[in-house]
Amino acid sequence: MEKRVKYKSSVKDPGTFGSLELSEVMLLFVPNDPKSDLKLKVQTHNIKSQKYTKQGSNKPPWLNLTNKQGRSHIFEFENYPDMHACRDSITKALAKCDEESNKSVVSTPAEKLSMAEFELRFKLLRENSELQKLHKQFVESKVLTEDEFWSTRKKLLGKDSIRKSKQQMGLKSMMVSGIKPSSDGRTNRVTFNLTSEIIFQIFAEKPAVRQAFIDYVPKKMTEKDFWTKYFRAEYLYSTKNTAVAAAEAAEDEELAVFLKPDEILAREARQKMRRVDPTLDMDADQGDDYTHLMDHGIQRDGTNDVVEPQNDQHRRSLLQDLNRHAAVVLEGRCIDVESEDTRIVAEALTRAKQVSKADDEITKDANQERLERMSRAAEMEDLQAPQNFPLAPLSIKDPRDYFESQQGNVLSEPRGARASKRNVYEAYGLLKESILEIRMTGLSDPLIKPEVSFEVFSSLTRTISTAKNIIGKNPRESFLDRLPKSTKDEVIHHWTSIQELLRHFWSSYPITTTYLNTKVGKLKDAMSNTYSLLDAMKQSVQSDLRHQVSLLVRPMQQVSFLPTQQEFYYIMSRLSLIFSTCIVSIQFNQPNQTLRSNPVNELKSE
Amino acid sequence: MIFKIEDVTVYFPYDNIYPEQYEYMVELKRALDAKGHCLLEMPTGTGKTIALLSLITSYRLSRPDSPIKLVYCTRTVHEMEKTLGELKLLHDYQVRHLGTQAKILAIGLSSRKNLCVNTKVLAAENRDSVDAACRKRTASWVRALSTENPNVELCDYFENYEKAADNALLPPGVYTLEDLRAFGKNRGWCPYFLARHMVQFANVIVYSYQYLLDPKVAGIISKELQKESVVVFDEAHNIDNVCIEALSVSVRRVTLEGANRNLNKIRQEIDRFKATDAGRLRAEYNRLVEGLALRGDLSGSDQWLANPALPHDILKEAVPGNIRRAEHFVHVLRRLLQYLGVRLDTENVEKESPVSFVSSLNSQAGIEQKTLKFCYDRLQSLMLTLEITDTDEFLPIQTVCDFATLVGTYARGFSIIIEPYDERMPHIPDPILQLSCHDASLAIKPVFDRFQSVVITSGTLSPIDLYPRLLSFTPVVSRSFKMSMTRDCICPMVLTRGSDQLPVSTKFDMRSDPGVVRNYGKLLVEMVSIVPDGVVCFFVSYSYMDGIIATWNETGILKEIMQQKLVFIETQDVVETTLALDNYRRACDCGRGAVFFSVARGKVAEGIDFDRHYGRLVVMYGVPFQYTLSKILRARLEYLHDTFQIKEGDFLTFDALRQAAQCVGRVIRSKADYGMMIFADKRYSRHDKRSKLPGWILSHLRDAHLNLSTDMAIHIAREFLRKMAQPYDKAGTMGRKTLLTQEDLEKMAETGVQDMAY
Repeated sequence: MEKRVKYKSSVKDPGTFGSLELSEVMLLFVPNDPKSDLKLKVQTHNIKSQKYTKQGSNKPPWLNLTNKQGRSHIFEFENYPDMHACRDSITKALAKCDEESNKSVVSTPAEKLSMAEFELRFKLLRENSELQKLHKQFVESKVLTEDEFWSTRKKLLGKDSIRKSKQQMGLKSMMVSGIKPSSDGRTNRVTFNLTSEIIFQIFAEKPAVRQAFIDYVPKKMTEKDFWTKYFRAEYLYSTKNTAVAAAEAAEDEELAVFLKPDEILAREARQKMRRVDPTLDMDADQGDDYTHLMDHGIQRDGTNDVVEPQNDQHRRSLLQDLNRHAAVVLEGRCIDVESEDTRIVAEALTRAKQVSKADDEITKDANQERLERMSRAAEMEDLQAPQNFPLAPLSIKDPRDYFESQQGNVLSEPRGARASKRNVYEAYGLLKESILEIRMTGLSDPLIKPEVSFEVFSSLTRTISTAKNIIGKNPRESFLDRLPKSTKDEVIHHWTSIQELLRHFWSSYPITTTYLNTKVGKLKDAMSNTYSLLDAMKQSVQSDLRHQVSLLVRPMQQVSFLPTQQEFYYIMSRLSLIFSTCIVSIQFNQPNQTLRSNPVNELKSE
Repeated sequence: MIFKIEDVTVYFPYDNIYPEQYEYMVELKRALDAKGHCLLEMPTGTGKTIALLSLITSYRLSRPDSPIKLVYCTRTVHEMEKTLGELKLLHDYQVRHLGTQAKILAIGLSSRKNLCVNTKVLAAENRDSVDAACRKRTASWVRALSTENPNVELCDYFENYEKAADNALLPPGVYTLEDLRAFGKNRGWCPYFLARHMVQFANVIVYSYQYLLDPKVAGIISKELQKESVVVFDEAHNIDNVCIEALSVSVRRVTLEGANRNLNKIRQEIDRFKATDAGRLRAEYNRLVEGLALRGDLSGSDQWLANPALPHDILKEAVPGNIRRAEHFVHVLRRLLQYLGVRLDTENVEKESPVSFVSSLNSQAGIEQKTLKFCYDRLQSLMLTLEITDTDEFLPIQTVCDFATLVGTYARGFSIIIEPYDERMPHIPDPILQLSCHDASLAIKPVFDRFQSVVITSGTLSPIDLYPRLLSFTPVVSRSFKMSMTRDCICPMVLTRGSDQLPVSTKFDMRSDPGVVRNYGKLLVEMVSIVPDGVVCFFVSYSYMDGIIATWNETGILKEIMQQKLVFIETQDVVETTLALDNYRRACDCGRGAVFFSVARGKVAEGIDFDRHYGRLVVMYGVPFQYTLSKILRARLEYLHDTFQIKEGDFLTFDALRQAAQCVGRVIRSKADYGMMIFADKRYSRHDKRSKLPGWILSHLRDAHLNLSTDMAIHIAREFLRKMAQPYDKAGTMGRKTLLTQEDLEKMAETGVQDMAY
């Protein structure tokens, strides 16, 4: 763009005629008189502000640009439209500059992102489908940038989460011998249903069976035959008829394997004895007590118990089984194989055992740790200053479960009934009052009276449980559960996305840069988009549920409009805390929806 | 903290001290000053051990001219480790404050099996075979032989230790068994012989009761301890039983058969020596004529068990002429075995005094009392002469000779009981001839005589006046301490009925009643759902526990319990029980929670602590009475009645209740700890039973808790746990100080107020 202008270095300056060339990066003034040395170059990003004369005043159309060094350049245009065109293009160029500078600031850390961090982000997205959905919705539709999205989730990206391995699943406490066969009622035939879980337990508790499986299947017999034999042996064992068991074992050597005492177990036990806590080691007593010399001491005075001598070959008591079972459950699932193939499981288990055995011999750490534990046990805790030991991190899969369980507590409290009458609007009222007060008197310290905030929070907490009961007929059944699954998912999804948008929205205040300005604009658009989606959803539900859904949706819609209200803008720029309370309240207002993360804390940190 | 008790500066490794610990130290110091014996009962969970250790070590430091030695006896090896652990803590503290002059040498002592580091020897299964495997590599004649024959296997650790000779010393410090092993392995010295050697230099020795009470062991290990030693018997409530066990021996069919085989072997050896090395047997004969029962200078590795009779009862005479010759001695033993075999062939239970037994032995087998008395010494001399190393093979003949020596030595306080079968299993013939000691004072008498101070202490010594009578000694201090409570951290309850109001009991006629079994089960099912972490249950016997668990398994009660907590059980297999305990602790540590089923009078009840989260609740199912129809018990009760005028019933109740108290008493370790105790039997509500419980339990047993049903107990438990979860002031409230600081102690010393806490 090129305009004919008169350049003045000051207001008094009569001016030099020339032409002004405008581009995105710079503006160039070339005087008409080639001999003049008043050639001027101004970098766009150097421009600090521009002033111009208003149309309709009797001044000529001047444009005054001040650069960052404080020098001003005045251009006199031929007419107003020329000046306006020029001004607009400078504004645009400035905005672009701003954005670029902002971008460069933001993108520097992004470039530094290591592969590890990217992997971590991917991992998080993979593991958390809700997060993935949000990411897809906002980042891919360019409402938020990648970094903005993650900046509110620094905790997830923290060091702890990198180190935290996948949580191991525990085993069920039920004994395998507890599985009862199902019979068809007519014949003597019984059927056992074996799941991979049960097979895992059998293998873990009875290494001899595991070894036999590896040895026999499929070379000597099929898997089915193997298990038939196994349960035959279990049956013989359960009849407690050792004579019959012995007789059958004599005939069938494979069956005998199941009835024999487990040698692998005995070996493992000896192994484990070496790293047992010495203050528990009763085996050491046996090696010490000289009265336990054969036939020394008192044999039959009624203190020592008598136990029927048993057939050595087939002794295996319930008590041993119980101990073994509990030990296996305590150890947990030590292999990472999720396979239907029994053989793979068996082999993986054998390998895992061998590895742990090898570990024992190498590591001194375990020994060291054992000694430390011993010396700690020797101390008397309350005679000295308390020692703080690091706590294991608590890993809660779904915080919703926590609130479900809290409902019971609130209900059982006698206060609950009375308190539930105080609804969420009252809490709003209180909050509003205090906001008004602040507007009248200005900021004081503390911002909100502790009593007020306490009242707000506690009444809202109670509302979570009561809303559920008021809406659902059956107190155990939440209203949400009655919605069709797709609708329910949709409601929850909208909820989380609104939450996400709001979080970003409020964190953009005060709007100081154009960058934030555009961001807020984008957020606003996305929010109104959500509003229409909510509306559509409301229409789509069945009529009998529509009322409830609209009850549910209303606070969300209100939220979608919140940012348009001027007074909220004003206060929000200062009192992010109050507003986070609002967000919490809205969250609570929706039954069955719980705090996914605490916005209060996050906002504070930002 | 550092404070003064009269003229002794006590170094105590903590910042605070309980008032009862302070009191305990004061009393202990008085006893040490008076150079007399004392009897101190202090509740568990008040830090008895550390108070005792810090006073005695500080006492030693304050009297550098006449250093006393501490001999600390524990019942089990794991308690020994625990004590050494506490001593380590104390020692570190004292060295930190006093520098090197506070350094002491403290060692734990145990058998070869627990101390050996030679992997080949350790491969043996039990203690006796480890002993034998060791002896095969270290006996003097084996080592002599190896100089000629390089193929003879020796133990490198022992050889290195021998080579180092007098230079083989332990630097000062506190050594647990594990530390000893590590040290030995590091230096290449045998830790077992090193530890034995260091006994004479050590300032503190920790070992088990038997090393002092059993003459067979004490004769070798403890004979060199000086009189200025302080002997402590910790957890001594069962000390009378240990004493009588040390002097009791029994003979079975298998013993006799084994002894016969041993004699054949000995006979062969004698013949072989006669042919090859007749001079050796002649030399032995000459030695015996001269009256040297044993070669005086046995090298350490040749020593074995000493004479089973107490030191002052052993005759210092020459061995009688009729058993001096090896063949003659073998003949005498053959006749003895024959006679014993005839006596075992009885249909009825027979009870006899040693005197009449000896006289009938004399008339029928022609063996005199004096001959009997020398049996043990003669056998040992013969075995050394014959260079027998596989001592574990020769245990049966050893046992018979022990029996002969004891029966020949003692006329009083013993009886001989011959039973054809066990009363409880009459269908299984298992004849047994038992020489049982009734008088606990016999075995402990030499200890009281030899050492200037003997301290007997435990959490349960009630009634405290009974012990001096049982052990026949006069203590200079005899005191029972109460526990000052910061809050009511123990909650004993007596449960008499189930939820259906039917009474529960393990009385013989009621114990197998399905209603009782079910109510016992329901109690546990309810409790595991409200009690966090560890729960421990004690049953009256293995067989009862076996039965009740089987029933619970069938009726699904066990499954309900397992839904809440993991289940671990004490079995008669020690290895398995140890692993179960270890896993139980792990389960409590990781928060899963567990139940441990155990047996009163069993190995676990004897010395395993269930403190802190390892035991928030103990349920004592039934009253752990002894099997009262036992012949030996009857004989002992008679003896007690005749000698000490102790009534039968009183003694039985006393014994049962001390066991019960011992079981439940292990839940508390400190005042910050808390735990519940349920006595589940209607008989506990009776005053005569209940009143035998130690005072510190009784004082917390409220009248309202004396006759509870299951649902009431559940309610109380809930309330109790809720109360315990509240924060509290550790220093004590309402003017009663339950935790003293250094300033408190200084103030007390100034004003002279001693009983501030009570």
